[in-house]
Amino acid sequence: MTALLELDSVQAGYGPTSVLHGVSLSVPAGGVVALLGANGAGKTTTLRAITGGVRWNGDIRFEGRSLRRMSTEEIVRRGIAHVPEGRGICTELTVDENLKLGSHLRRDGAEVRKDYDRVFEYFPVLKERRRLSASTLSGGEQQMLALARALLMKPRLMLLDEPSLGLAPIVVRSIFQIIRSINEASGVAVLLVEQNARIALDLSSTAYVLEVGRVAVHGDSAELQGNESVRRSYLGY
Amino acid sequence: MQEFLQQVVSGLAVGGIFASLALALVLIYNAMGLVNFAQGEMAMLATFVAYALVNRGMSYWIAFPVALVLAFGGGIVIQRIVIRPVERAPILTLVIITLGLATLLNGLAGFVFGYVPRSFPSPFSAQSADVLGVFVSYRDLGVIAMSGLVLLAVYLLLQRTTVGLTMRAAAHHPEASRLLGVQVSWMLGLGWGLASAVGAVSGIMVAPILLLEPNMMQSIIIYAFAAAVLGGIESPLGAVVGGLAVGVTINLAGAYLPFVGGDLQLAVGLAIIIAVLIIRPNGLFGRAAVRRV
Repeated sequence: MTALLELDSVQAGYGPTSVLHGVSLSVPAGGVVALLGANGAGKTTTLRAITGGVRWNGDIRFEGRSLRRMSTEEIVRRGIAHVPEGRGICTELTVDENLKLGSHLRRDGAEVRKDYDRVFEYFPVLKERRRLSASTLSGGEQQMLALARALLMKPRLMLLDEPSLGLAPIVVRSIFQIIRSINEASGVAVLLVEQNARIALDLSSTAYVLEVGRVAVHGDSAELQGNESVRRSYLGY
Repeated sequence: MQEFLQQVVSGLAVGGIFASLALALVLIYNAMGLVNFAQGEMAMLATFVAYALVNRGMSYWIAFPVALVLAFGGGIVIQRIVIRPVERAPILTLVIITLGLATLLNGLAGFVFGYVPRSFPSPFSAQSADVLGVFVSYRDLGVIAMSGLVLLAVYLLLQRTTVGLTMRAAAHHPEASRLLGVQVSWMLGLGWGLASAVGAVSGIMVAPILLLEPNMMQSIIIYAFAAAVLGGIESPLGAVVGGLAVGVTINLAGAYLPFVGGDLQLAVGLAIIIAVLIIRPNGLFGRAAVRRV
């Protein structure tokens, strides 16, 4: 299978502090890949490197083209939607305005309208709250808004940074179910960063476990889940 | 009563002028958390441009929009050349840069146009109309209408257009906006351009009243600060309400408080700033300055 996204011994850090020491991974087109690991292992930094939020060495290729020296805006416009840590909701704006920011670069009007319908099917609560300020949404609803907005960008790859963070287990389950349906229905690939290894392994087909800036283990998600020693030493359950 | 109402109307007219400049300050404050001390001088320079155009025989109604377009372009150029290289510098550095910019523009205007006050044309007649028993000058009405139009245009641009939406998003959430493909740096440029054009309106409106010279805006900017602070420095609506309130207040104070008269109106403006900062630092429409981290 050809890789949609490839990271080739990527090193990155903040100023003098190096966080990634050569991370290699790949996300196939339409696939779901989980990126696991403890706090500070470099998961968020990996995502930030991909969308140009942090300087890196090595190579990152999307659809075969290197993303070197591209600005965040250019990378995003190529078809990568990044839902960052903390969700990146514009709380000064309404729900509708947040959604519009997702679709504002698209010129395929009819398709955009269809995508809005789809998004409101997944997240009916957003349709009810369209005119309200995004700051009035609960944490789960904000996560839904972030996903909906990412979907409206019509990406070929979504980077999701801890969608489960701070949410009640029942909300987490429904959000992960929706991520699965989105992936199956539209074929958008997903690179998922998670602390909650169990649910991430359920959703993904491949997983990478980071440990202090390096890939410690990687492989088939089901196999990793079944491997007792991997689970104990890296995944903590 | 009648005289009181007349004072209120002319207060609203000067208030509209303050409101435009205050709105310019708020636009830039929102975009980068910076009070642009050069806003008044930028407006003054744009007014000189309008003056030069009218002087070359251009009709007022063509010179006015042309000057606004040039002010818009000038604002973008200033952001690109002066502000952008120091965008990430500490706020004090930026403040000092805008102060330097103010001095530079003031000197530039003096160098090119001289310091002799010039009369600036007003398109509105100085006669008065009888509105329900109150005599109001066409000039005041015209200024109120023009300020109203500009403020409405800015409102529609920011609230109803996609570019306005991306400007607001870029101002409040630059990181998140970048991830949505918004070209944040250009949005800041547009913000400076827009602020510059809106501020220019205040200069062109006030010039027929004050006479045009390089220091013309130096009192107006104080009132605009008062208006912006009163309205809550982050709120465009607050800038407008604040501008009108300051305009009416100083006009009434000048007319009815004998010790204020025409000389101490500026002191009233400063008193408003101090009073707001002590009693209600967030202004009328501002939110409490608590930020989630």
